[in-house]
Amino acid sequence: MTTQTSLSTFLLAGPEITLVIAALVIFLWGAFGGLRQGWLVALAGIAAAACWPGLALVPGELVASGPLSIDAFAAFIRGMVLAAGAGLCLVQAGDHFRSAVTHGPVRRDASTCEEAGTFLLLAGLSLVASANDLVLLLAGLELVSIPTYILLALKRTDARGQEASIKYFFLSLVASALFLYGMACLYGIGGSTSLAEIGARLRSPDARISDTATVLLPVALGMVLAGAAFRLAAVPMHFYAPDVYEGTGPANAALLSTLPKVAGVVVLLRLLSLGTGGTLGMMALNQGVAGPAAAAWLTFFWQTLAVLAALTMTVGNLMALMQTNLRRLLACSSIAHAGYLLVGVAAAAAADATLAGRPFPSPDTAWTGALGGTTATLFYLATYITATIGVFAAITYLGHRWPEWTSGPAPQPPRQEVTSVDDLDGLSSTNPVAAFSLAVFLLSLAGIPPLPGFWGKLSLAMAALEVDWTARATPGSRRVIFLSLAVVLVLNAAIAAAYYLRIVAAMYFRSTKRGVQADGGIGAGVAMLAALGLVALFTIQPRPLLSASSRAGESISAPHALLATPQASTTP
Amino acid sequence: MSPFSPTTLLVLVPLLPLLGAICTILLGRRLGARGHLPAVAGIAGAALVAGLLLVSTVNDVRGDGNGQATRPVEIIAELWQWATVDDAHAGGGDAAGTPVAPGISALDSFSATVTLRCDPLTSTLLVIITGVGLLVAIYSIGYMHDDPGYPRFFALVAMFVFSMSMLVAASNFLLVYVFWEAVGACSYLLIGFWFTRPEAARAAKKAFLVNRVGDFGLAIATFLLWMTYGTLDFHDTWAGDTVVQGILGHTRLADAEGFVGGAVGTAICLLILLAACGKSAQLPLHVWLPDAMEGPTPASALIHAATMVTAGIYLITRSAPLFVGCPGALAMVSIVGATTALVAAGIATVQNDLKRVLAYSTISQLGYMFASLGTGSMLGFTAAIFHLVTHAFFKALLFLGAGSVMHSMGGVIDMRRFGGLRQVMPVTAATFLIGACALAGLPPFAGFFSKDEILAALHAKAHPDQHHSDHADAHAADQIAPNRLATPFRQAAFASNRTALESDAGLERVGLDALDHPSTWQTLFWMSLFTAGLTAFYTFRAVFMTFTGPKRVPTEAGHHPHESPTVMTVPLMILAGLSLLAGWVLFATGGLAWFLAATPSLTAPAIVRTAVTHAFHVDLAVQGSLAAAIGIAIAAIGHLGKRSDSPQMERFLGPLGTLLENKFYFDAIYKALIVRPLEGLSLLSALIDRNLVDGTVDAVARVPLSWGAVVRRLQSGLVQRYALAGVVGVLAIVLALAWQLRP
Repeated sequence: MTTQTSLSTFLLAGPEITLVIAALVIFLWGAFGGLRQGWLVALAGIAAAACWPGLALVPGELVASGPLSIDAFAAFIRGMVLAAGAGLCLVQAGDHFRSAVTHGPVRRDASTCEEAGTFLLLAGLSLVASANDLVLLLAGLELVSIPTYILLALKRTDARGQEASIKYFFLSLVASALFLYGMACLYGIGGSTSLAEIGARLRSPDARISDTATVLLPVALGMVLAGAAFRLAAVPMHFYAPDVYEGTGPANAALLSTLPKVAGVVVLLRLLSLGTGGTLGMMALNQGVAGPAAAAWLTFFWQTLAVLAALTMTVGNLMALMQTNLRRLLACSSIAHAGYLLVGVAAAAAADATLAGRPFPSPDTAWTGALGGTTATLFYLATYITATIGVFAAITYLGHRWPEWTSGPAPQPPRQEVTSVDDLDGLSSTNPVAAFSLAVFLLSLAGIPPLPGFWGKLSLAMAALEVDWTARATPGSRRVIFLSLAVVLVLNAAIAAAYYLRIVAAMYFRSTKRGVQADGGIGAGVAMLAALGLVALFTIQPRPLLSASSRAGESISAPHALLATPQASTTP
Repeated sequence: MSPFSPTTLLVLVPLLPLLGAICTILLGRRLGARGHLPAVAGIAGAALVAGLLLVSTVNDVRGDGNGQATRPVEIIAELWQWATVDDAHAGGGDAAGTPVAPGISALDSFSATVTLRCDPLTSTLLVIITGVGLLVAIYSIGYMHDDPGYPRFFALVAMFVFSMSMLVAASNFLLVYVFWEAVGACSYLLIGFWFTRPEAARAAKKAFLVNRVGDFGLAIATFLLWMTYGTLDFHDTWAGDTVVQGILGHTRLADAEGFVGGAVGTAICLLILLAACGKSAQLPLHVWLPDAMEGPTPASALIHAATMVTAGIYLITRSAPLFVGCPGALAMVSIVGATTALVAAGIATVQNDLKRVLAYSTISQLGYMFASLGTGSMLGFTAAIFHLVTHAFFKALLFLGAGSVMHSMGGVIDMRRFGGLRQVMPVTAATFLIGACALAGLPPFAGFFSKDEILAALHAKAHPDQHHSDHADAHAADQIAPNRLATPFRQAAFASNRTALESDAGLERVGLDALDHPSTWQTLFWMSLFTAGLTAFYTFRAVFMTFTGPKRVPTEAGHHPHESPTVMTVPLMILAGLSLLAGWVLFATGGLAWFLAATPSLTAPAIVRTAVTHAFHVDLAVQGSLAAAIGIAIAAIGHLGKRSDSPQMERFLGPLGTLLENKFYFDAIYKALIVRPLEGLSLLSALIDRNLVDGTVDAVARVPLSWGAVVRRLQSGLVQRYALAGVVGVLAIVLALAWQLRP
């Protein structure tokens, strides 16, 4: 670990600073300079941020300075955030064409406000990924939330839109308050805001320190999870999702279903790594005896998350089964996907718990190439984001449906937004490219092989199965719990296939007289095709993404490859 | 990589038709009457590139110019790695990952790479595939004119050329399997091209299903190969600084103990033979090919005569080193081949549908090639490929000629309904006659030379003493390998070999090996000679019925039957030229045999040892030509100059004629033994499925729906309730965790 001066801290935060500067430029240019094509500036800003060096690090390498620490994990998240940001900016640009049709021209600077807000959000998310300090973590999370309120409020001025934005605002405040309370407890454990310090105290073998810490753990974990669950839209903080998605435009729905989820996963994995310190922590520990508090932290983590994962998957899918509104359906399905992601985090926590309290490197462990929950989670996150942005880009691109046209003196009725599943009837004949792309994205989300979503679900299930793989399956053992979790995941994937296929069937097997206008603008179309290209790439060649997620996973969680040996997987 | 390096050329050959197919699919409707352009351009480009590749490979074989370098020549282009599985031999104990011999390592992981190869065999076949493909595509511009599916046809043909090129260029068994299926899919789509016609749809389904039987064999063979050799690659690969022996790689070929014989080896070979029987329409899986003539005639010419059906020949030739260790399996190849040749030729003698005559003739000629492969000698393998090449020319010619007749006769193909067509369509008649002479094996047409070599290979095997070949002891030393093991499975396979060795001081013989006996080969030789006579008979019977006698045309042909357009007759003339010259040129120079001998698969010591000096066997040539002449004479007596609907010769055959007309009752037997019971089973399954399974599933599906209704009710829309639920949930978590901390 290298200590650097504060100037290097700013250098480390280069991409975030670039994004904020770009946001300010867009704000000011939009307000005073009459910038119309904000998204062009936005793409330039993302390109500039992406050019910043240090996006790719090898596992084990860590550059830390002040409250920031950049490792392979942070680099992976940064890359994902920037890519998603580029897609979202394109979708937003398309959304403007679209909403101008129904709602009339919006305020001229509203579009630039949105681009700029998104940029602040990206910067916040990127900071969350590299935060090594509770204060910066909270600041980053708030930087994710506050622009979201603005985006939601800007988008729709009708009653539903306002309702959605107020709902999101209040519930987000509740979640943030709970999260802050959890952080206070963590501060109580560590006596410092630095995550490294807190982790060190948690892993301390000193009985006095660890006893004090253990008492605070339930509250700390419960409250922190509340904050993460809200961002992930996981049980019990999932209620807002359908109402908010329905009340806002598809671009905002795309944003809500991707970026906050990244934030939630990042927070969970960062806090999880307090228990082990990641590969580096394990190496630094070397003598290997982690404190009982760390073991309790990891155990609580996987116990809670296993339950939440099962509940979230099931609730999300059951809700989605009944929906006819497209955005509501996707909101419910995004809850279910949060549940899938939690399976991976829970598996990672369980595997870490096995390793805690074990000497490292130890003679009874060997590298076997096990995948690991963290890797699976990150891989799934990337495939989910690609397909989700693709779906919303396609919906934005489709825009409006032609009205029922009857020739006669009656005036032509207004065009209607594409909102319900029925609006997609017969899309395969009226707009085959969009129908094909949409079908590919939905099938990937459903987890149909060989699309990337399938590999993601497979690796999640494998990660769950790898927990105590060689242990005997006695009732109530971790092996049985994770086996059941994998079964629940597979059953849920089957339920999910029902509603995804319903949409595909509407596009391909029903016919309609009313075409879809495809007035969503070129931006959304480009985003859709780019997402399709990425999905195709991950289908043909998932290896680079998989190895990138595995590098990132290894840097933040314990080296999972050490686990799958008979000796190493006895239940503590 | 220079733009003209062999590797680039090798990648371009499949790539160009693929691009053509994609362009046709994307632009098809826009191009309208020019829908053939992308496909024809792509195939033409591929043909050009394949020609360049052939020249480059010939130069490689020629080596330093002394003309006798027959070192193995191969170019490997690894494109990308598709998937890998670490520890694929899990449970294999310490065999995985440890070097099995100094410098030679076994794979402990399974990797599926997309790797192309080029060697003399591949480059020869690539030229045939793209060349015949190009001629057929050009011909189709005229033939398919005005068909509503015009662009679809060309997209499929281009897709087929892509798949077939990949099949012969693939350098591992997995990729071979993928494209084995891909050509099958293209074939299915082209047979069912006019899918609104029930016969076409049925024929497509039949072809696909019968082929599945063979594909199943290939799949099992692939599994066995992987378990035995620990890799699926043909070529050697490097893992760090150790060589991983490919199944057909140089190091294994040089290693006299590299191949597994005995029961496992024979099983692999028989499964490969099953696969080859499916694709190449050999007994007992030949029933799909005659029905496949429901497809457009150019597709029949390309896929079901010249190229795809020879995939089985290719696969066996490629796997030759595996086969030469298993004499029983080799003998089976010949027995299947010669029997098929005889049976199919017999059936062809009584067919009245011109295309079906040609279809049975294809089956019969493929049988010849199998018979030749089964001899397991250098002459046998090169003769089979030689016949493959000449057959591709003359059979494509005959099919395109039949298509020309059909085109002109308004879709009628029953030979009894027309006659004397040489007055109507002279070019077609002349070129068809050349093709028929080649098929009948008349000197100096192409078929004569290749068929002569096949007969020579069989004769050599039947009379080893006359041919100064030391083949008799060729397989004594090549099969038993010591402990150079890749997989535990292989250890077991060898263990049984070794036990056999210790007990009776010979290699492990399987019961099937008893078939490898001179008397078998003598029988096969005489069967083949008789088949040659039958071939000449049915070929000229078709020629006489179609083109001689009084001029008659069916009413469907309209008032003014005419010769086909130039775009159709030019490919006919090119193919006729090739059918006339190719055999002579390739035989006289000995070039093809010399070239093919540099294929890595054919440099296995057991095959090289059987190489005999190139010789023209006068006695065999005389016997073969005599058989052909007798056949033609009988055909002339029966049909020359007579009305084609006059009474047929089969009335002299009595019960044999009935048997032949019913095609040996193969279809009826399959229907009774397989189709009917399966139909019954599927009826039963359908009943169970509809009532029991569907009922259960519907009941299960109602459960999530009802739960969903409950969950939905919780979604009240009131923000204060949401917040309350969230906080209560968090408190529940905190309390549950704190409960665990109780002292």
